Order: sequence, then C-alpha cells, then structure tokens
Amino acid sequence: MKVLKYAAFGMLLIIGMSCSKDDDKVDQISGEGTLKIEFDNAYAGSDLLLGTSYPGNGTERLTIDTFKYIVSNISVTQEDGTVFTYPKDESLFVIDESDNDSRFISLPNVPAGNYTKISFGIGVDQEKYLQGAEGQGDFLAIATDAGMLWSWQAGYKFIRYEGSFSSDGSTEETAFAIHMGSHGSALDNYKEITLDLPVSAKLRTDIAPEIHIVADLAGVLNAETILYLADKAQIHVDPVKSPQIAVNTSKIFTVDHVHN
Amino acid sequence: MQKWIVLLAVVAVIIACQNNAEEEYIAVPTPMELSIPTNFPEVAYNLEVNPLTEEGFELGKKLFYDGSLSSTGVVSCGFCHEQAFSFTHHGHTVSHGVNGLEGFRNAQPLHNLAFFNEFTWDGAATHLDLQPIIPITSEVEMNERIPNVLSKLRADKEYPKLFTKAYGDDVINSERLLKALSQFMLQMVSGNSRYDKYSRGEGEILTDKELAGLETFRQKCANCHAGELFTDQSYRNNGLPMNPNFPEEEGRKRVSGFQEDHYKFRVPSLRNIELTFPYMHDGRFGTLEAVMDFYANGMVANGTVDPSLIDSNGSLGIPLSITEKENIIAFLKTLTDNEFIEDKRFAEF
Repeated sequence: MKVLKYAAFGMLLIIGMSCSKDDDKVDQISGEGTLKIEFDNAYAGSDLLLGTSYPGNGTERLTIDTFKYIVSNISVTQEDGTVFTYPKDESLFVIDESDNDSRFISLPNVPAGNYTKISFGIGVDQEKYLQGAEGQGDFLAIATDAGMLWSWQAGYKFIRYEGSFSSDGSTEETAFAIHMGSHGSALDNYKEITLDLPVSAKLRTDIAPEIHIVADLAGVLNAETILYLADKAQIHVDPVKSPQIAVNTSKIFTVDHVHN
Repeated sequence: MQKWIVLLAVVAVIIACQNNAEEEYIAVPTPMELSIPTNFPEVAYNLEVNPLTEEGFELGKKLFYDGSLSSTGVVSCGFCHEQAFSFTHHGHTVSHGVNGLEGFRNAQPLHNLAFFNEFTWDGAATHLDLQPIIPITSEVEMNERIPNVLSKLRADKEYPKLFTKAYGDDVINSERLLKALSQFMLQMVSGNSRYDKYSRGEGEILTDKELAGLETFRQKCANCHAGELFTDQSYRNNGLPMNPNFPEEEGRKRVSGFQEDHYKFRVPSLRNIELTFPYMHDGRFGTLEAVMDFYANGMVANGTVDPSLIDSNGSLGIPLSITEKENIIAFLKTLTDNEFIEDKRFAEF
C-alpha cells in the first residue's frame, strides 16, 4: 500500500511540474500578479501642465498643447536575470497627457518575483508592423482615435508633441508640431529603453508593485541633440531631425521610484 | 484510502491540464485557393496569418463596394477602383473623394497585390492589410475614422452575420475588417493575358509586331519594368517635368524624408496598361503614345533622374524610333487580361 501512496505522491509531483509554467522549486515565490506602471510626464523637473509656458532651448519658450506617445514591448528582468516579456499583442499603449487614465498601465499575469529592470519601446517595431492586421489587433482603432496614425501613410506616429513657441528673435507665438515615427521601409525610428529600478519591484500574487516612470519632455528637444524650433517647427518625416528626436526621446525616461 | 488518493490525483491532472473541456459549435469557413500563375514570382503576403476563405472573400468584397466606409456614406473603395479599368478611376487624372475634394495622385490599379511588398506611388504602406487605412482616413478620399467604420458595421443588419461566417463569431474589429479587405484584394490575380499564355507556352502566338515590341521592351524598358510583374518595385525618378498644379508633390521623399527621394515614384506594373490610362502618378498622359514620346523626348533634368535614363554623354531619355514606339505599344496591349476584367467574382453587381 505504501507503494501506492508513493505512486500517488509521484503523480502529484508530475502534475506540479507539467502544469506549472513557473520554476519547479516549491519553496520559491510562485504564482502570478499584477505589475503597474505609471508614466508621469514632466518638463525640466516640474510637473507637466498643458497650456503652461516653459523655457526651451536658448531663448525659446514653449507652450505645450499635446503630448502623446506609444509605449510597446514591455519586459521586466528579475535579480537573477530571468526576463519576462509581456505578450507583444497586449503590450501596446498610447500615453496621453490629456487623458489621466492612459498614464497608468496595469499588466496582469506577470510571474511573481523581484524585478530590478524594466524595458519598453517607444513606437511600434517594424516586425510588429509587418505582421499586418494580425499584428496591430485593436490597437489600430485605439491609435487612430488618439490621432497617432498618419492619414497619408499607413504608419504610426510614435510621438505627438504639439504646441506653440516664441523666442527673443520672434516674440509672436508660432505653432510647432513634432510627429515622429518610422518612414515606411526607408527609416526605422523605433527605440527600446531599459531602466534600472532603484529598489526591486516585489511582485506577488497579492502585491502589485507600481513602477513610477518620469518622462521629462524637455529632453525631446535636447537630451542628446539640441534642436531649436526656430530652425524647424514642423518636424514630420525629416530624415535628419526625426531620428534625432527618436534618440532624444529614448533618453527622457527615468524611474523615479517603485511602490511595493 | 490509497485508491482515493490515486483517483484524486488523476482527477487533478484532468482539471489542471484540460482547460478546454467544453466545445462550442463553430462554423468553419470554406478554404479558398489562391491560384498563382506558373510564370509569377513567390507570393509576398503571409497567407498563414490570414488564411483565404470564401466567406472572408465575400465579406471583403462587400466591404470593398460599401460606401459606409467613408464619412459621407457614398465613396467606397470601388468608387476609385473600377474593375473595367483594372480597378483604376476611369477618366480621372487624379481622383476625387468625399465632398468633391481632389487628391493629387492617380488611383493605381489593383491587381497582383499578393506579390508586392510595398504599396501606393510612394511606398506609404508596407503591408497590404494596412494600406486601406490611407484611403479610409484621408480627408480627400473617404475621410472616415476606423472606429466609426466599425460602429457602422456593428449596427448594420448584415455585417454581424457575415463576420460570423468568416470568423466564427460576430466580433467586428479593425483586424478582421482589414483582413477581409486583403482577402478580396489578394484574389485579384491578373495572369491570363495573351502575353502570359505566350510566356507559359500555352499555344498563344504573338504577332511579329508584338514580338518585335517585346524585344525592344526587353532591351530598353525591362531594366525597371522587370520580370513577370513588369516592375522591380523600386522607386525612381523618370524625369517628369514638375506638375505646376501640385507644387507640394515630393514623391517618395514624402515617406522617407530623404532629399534624394524627391520626385521618385514606384515603378508601376504594366499589366493591363492599355486600360489603366491616364498614366504617371498624376495621370498627366492620356495615351500610351504620349508616354512613348515622353520617354523618347520629354524628360527633364529635375534633380534626381534615375541614372539608367541618362546616357554617357549626359542626354536624357530612351532613344526610340517611331516603329519601336508602335511595336512596344503593340506588345504592351498583349498584357491586357480580359478574363480578369470580366471575372464575376470581383464584380460589384
């Protein structure tokens, strides 16, 4: 009879191993929980307020009306280097400064663990784009609603940064608009960003940590390359400035803190 | 007792590993073949993610001819893409959309799209599924928003049924909408012209004039109009004088941003060329004779003219005698595929 008991125990063990997606050590953190991410938009260290004027490069002053961007391909890395990539199809978001809810992303079904890094993309990568309708899913409708698709080319605007500016040279308010995305098959402006977390995000089945990311908008025009709006205020498919905007934008994100 | 443990374990296995115990009845759409002419290149479209079915095709066809995809309810895809002219906008240099607004390019024919990687005159779409977004959302074409289109389809009496037939349930979303449009367009294969039958050795005989035209074409045109699709799918500037009506026209530069792409356009396929007049991106030439004259004598140095169109002493154009021009035109007319033009599967009515 003992043999039977062992057999039953053995079977249960097999169940545990074959049906669980996670690691098989029983004493380890297990299960899945929710990871939350806040995208907090700022301007030169202050909270971003639409319609307020801010100092830009040189003597330029900017008033921002619109700031939206596409976040994709979120993945998180544990202390031991284990990477969890959130399902690509469910990892597409429009962050819109004028829509408070859009700034909070909630990712269910993330394996419990102690996460020390987060990665995400700005825009939509070419591989995803080239999956056609299959790859875009419902995001296409979301992006059109947010005005994140060009109407003359079937491509996404990765960021939309609009407003008006003035400078010592020209005191009159002039409109500016920066729409950066990939240029068909000619130029890929998708960028991925990896950030270290100041403390690890301890995700458990009953604890949903929140990673608070600050996007400092001032960097879009100066994080690496300084771009004066007086030189060009409408940047759409500029083969020089759009890639510079892409690089600058990839450097505006920092993790401010983590709520556990 | 032990028996119970074993039983429990077995039950646990079943519960844990078998999530899809319940089976639902799902109508299975009928697979549809894509017939590929033997002289054609490989299919560029990934059919695995959008398997062609009769129900998907029928849905795509209804959508293609439905004006409710536009903001005014009257401009359908078929409005500018008429089958009798290989799905071009007959009689229009540039096309007009909602509220009589005009675009600035000539509607391109729709045929053999399954074999192309990029679409439109400047490559603004790099996937067939996503191309319809441009005409649907463009202010001068259908001027509509995808979410609005979806609401209209959901509120319709017919569409939920047609989506169910094609996809197994009545969920109407952008992915399904675009996939269905692709299914309809993918089937538009034009490969039964007299030239094709000649090329495949099916007993078709070309006249001496047509054969002479083919020979000249191969020598003087096939560098760009290459292969059985009669395009190398590249973007080139063929030295057209700037059109003063459309001073903003930048060609491929609009998509790439690169100055060197200024006034470059995609080398168009020449299939059904007899029917797809007027010619060039802005429909400036009404006849094939005018096109021949342009290549022989009309090119101008507009900055980025393709090197293949400039000879060693710097002069532009393709030297063509009167006879050569006539022969080439005779040959080009062998690319007309009447079976395709008359194919009832694609007809609106």
